[in-house]
Amino acid sequence: MSSTGTGIQPPPRVIEAARSPLMASAFAGRKKVLPILELALLIAASIAPLVLRDYITVYATRVLILCLFALSFDLVWGYAGILSLGQSLFFGMAGYGVALLSRDFGVGSIFAVLPAGTLIGFVAALLLAGFLLLGRHPSSVVFVSLGTMTGAYAADRLARGSHYLGGQNGIPSIQPMTIGSHELSEGPGFYYLVLAILVLIYLLSRFLLRSQFGLALAGLRENEQRIAFFGYKVQHLKAIIFAISGAIAGTAGSLYAFHEGFVWTNMLGVVMSTQVVLYVLFGGSGTLIGAVIGTAIVEGLSFWLSDNYRDIWPIILGVLLLLVILFRPLGLISLVLGERDRVGHFGPSLKEKRNAAP
Amino acid sequence: MDTLLIAMFEILSFGAIVVLVVLGLGIIASMMGIFNFAQGEFVLLGAYVTYLVHSLGLPVPLGMLVAPVAVGALGFVLEKVVVRRFYAAPIVAMLGTYALGLIIREAVRGLTGGLYLSVPEPISGSIMIGGLHFAAWRSVIVIITLLVMAASHALLAHTSFGLRVRASLENPQLARASGISTGMIYSVTFAFGAALAGLAGALIVPVFSLFADLGIRFLIQGFVAVMVGGVGSFAGPVAGASVIGTFSAWLPWLMSPVIADVLVFVLAIIFIKFRPQGLISGRGVNR
Repeated sequence: MSSTGTGIQPPPRVIEAARSPLMASAFAGRKKVLPILELALLIAASIAPLVLRDYITVYATRVLILCLFALSFDLVWGYAGILSLGQSLFFGMAGYGVALLSRDFGVGSIFAVLPAGTLIGFVAALLLAGFLLLGRHPSSVVFVSLGTMTGAYAADRLARGSHYLGGQNGIPSIQPMTIGSHELSEGPGFYYLVLAILVLIYLLSRFLLRSQFGLALAGLRENEQRIAFFGYKVQHLKAIIFAISGAIAGTAGSLYAFHEGFVWTNMLGVVMSTQVVLYVLFGGSGTLIGAVIGTAIVEGLSFWLSDNYRDIWPIILGVLLLLVILFRPLGLISLVLGERDRVGHFGPSLKEKRNAAP
Repeated sequence: MDTLLIAMFEILSFGAIVVLVVLGLGIIASMMGIFNFAQGEFVLLGAYVTYLVHSLGLPVPLGMLVAPVAVGALGFVLEKVVVRRFYAAPIVAMLGTYALGLIIREAVRGLTGGLYLSVPEPISGSIMIGGLHFAAWRSVIVIITLLVMAASHALLAHTSFGLRVRASLENPQLARASGISTGMIYSVTFAFGAALAGLAGALIVPVFSLFADLGIRFLIQGFVAVMVGGVGSFAGPVAGASVIGTFSAWLPWLMSPVIADVLVFVLAIIFIKFRPQGLISGRGVNR
C-alpha cells in the first residue's frame, strides 16, 4: 500500500465496508460499551450545572478545560506513542499569548482569542515536532520525551525571568472573554461553552482516529518498524499528530487563561506536564474517553480529598498512579473496555472477511 | 590571571557536582537499559537524609555517610518490588519510575513543609593556595567525586562483581546459564546507582539547600548529560556530565543566568539531535 503522510487513501472496498450498516450489526454485543459510556458521560456533563452549586460548576468548568488538555496528550502518547513530557509548553504558551493579547491590545473577543491560542499551540508544536521528530535519524522515545521536557522547563525558566511576562507572578487580572457585547464570566455559561468545545473537539478527534490515519497511528504505537515497512512515512505521521495535539492544547490553554483570569509560570512548566500525564495514564491512554475519565476522577478526588488530606493527597495520587501502571497499564478504562475496543477497527470483521473471500 | 583561576575552580567544582549526580544515572541507564526518572528524587532523598541527621543534632558528615546507605537500601527494595517488573518494557519503566519519583518528591515536600532548609558545610572556610582562596567544601566535593569515579570504574571494570554485571547485561541467558543470579545483579546495580545519587544529594545539600524540587533540575541535567555523553559505556555519561557541567558553570559568566541555563539545555538537545549516539558511542555494552 503506497501512501504519503497526509494522503492515506484506503482501498475503496474497505471504505464501503466501513460505511455499510451491516458492519455495525456485526459488532453488536460487547462492542457497544464505548458509545454507551460516551453518551452517559455527555448526559451527566450536560445536566451537571443544573444540580451542582455554582462554585462547583466553576470547578467543573476547569475540569472540562483540563479534559481538553488531557485529550491532547492522549492523542500523542495514547495513539502515536510519542511520550511528550512537555505538553504544558503549548498549553502555557497559548495561555500567555492570549493573556498578552488581552493586556496589550485589549482583544478579548472569543472569535479572536480562541483561534489565536489554537494557532500558537499548533505552530509551536509544529516547530518542535519539526526539530524533534523529523530528520535523517528516527528519534528515540527517550530523546523526544527529553526534548519536550526540556522545552517546557526552558519556557518556565524564561517566563520566570522575563519582566515583560510578569516574572514569578505571571499576568494577573485578564479581562473576561467576550462574545459580541456579552461578557463571559465563570459560571454555567462558560461551562456550557467549554462543554460544547470539548464535545466538538472530541468528535473531531474520534473521527480522525477512526479513519485510516488513526489506525496507522495505532499501528505505529504498537510496532513502529512494521508500519514503516508498509510504506508509511512514520515521522510525518508523528509530526502531524503532534501538531494537532499542540493545537488542542493551545485551545485548552487559552480557555484556561480566560477562565482563571490569570496565567502564571506553572502553566508552562513541568508541574502541568506531570498533571496531564497523570490524568491520561490514570484513565487509560489509547482511548479518548479514558483521558476524560482520568481527568474527571483525578480532579474530582482531589477536590474532595484535598480539603481534608491536603498534605498527603499528592502522595496518594503518586501511589495510585504507580499501582495503575503496575497492574492496569491500560488505565482504569480497561476495567470495562476490551482490548478490541481500544485498538479500534476498520473494515469488516474477520469472520465476515472469511465468508466474503472468493 | 587570578580571576581566571577562581573561575576555573568554580567550573571544576560545579562540573564535579554534575558528574556525581550523573554517575548513578549513567550506570543504571548503561548497565540496565533503564532510564530512571526517579534518579533526581534519589538525589533529593540523599539531601533529605543528611538534613534529617543534622536536625537530630548529630554531625553532618555522619548524615553524609548514612545517606548513600539509606538511599541505596531503598533503591534495592524498590528494584525488588517495582522496577523489576519493567525490564521487558523500557518505556513503561520511564513512566513507572516517574511515578516513584513523584511519590518521593511529594513525600519530601510534605515532610519539609515546602520550605527551603539549609544544612551547614561540614568543612567551612577556604583553603589558601598561592594567595588564592578556594572554598574548602567545594574542594572536598571535587576530591570525593574523583575518588568515587575511580572506585566505580574499578568496581565495574576490574572486579568479579563488575564482570558479572557486564555479563548479565550483554547476554542475560548465558549469564544465567553460567550460574550468575541476574536478578540479584540487577538489584545490586540499581541499588548502587541509587546510592551514588544519595551520596551526590548529601554532598551538595550544603551548597544548594534542601527543597522539594531539587531533584527535577538535576534530573533534566542528568538526562541531558547522559544523552550527550552516550549511553552504554562508563566513560560516556562522565564525559557528557563534564561537558554539561562546564557549560553550566561557564556560560553564566558571559550572559544572564536564566538565558545561560536554558541555552545549555537547548545546545545539548541540538547536539543529541545530530549525534544521537553521543560523544562516546557505546562499545558492546549498549542496548
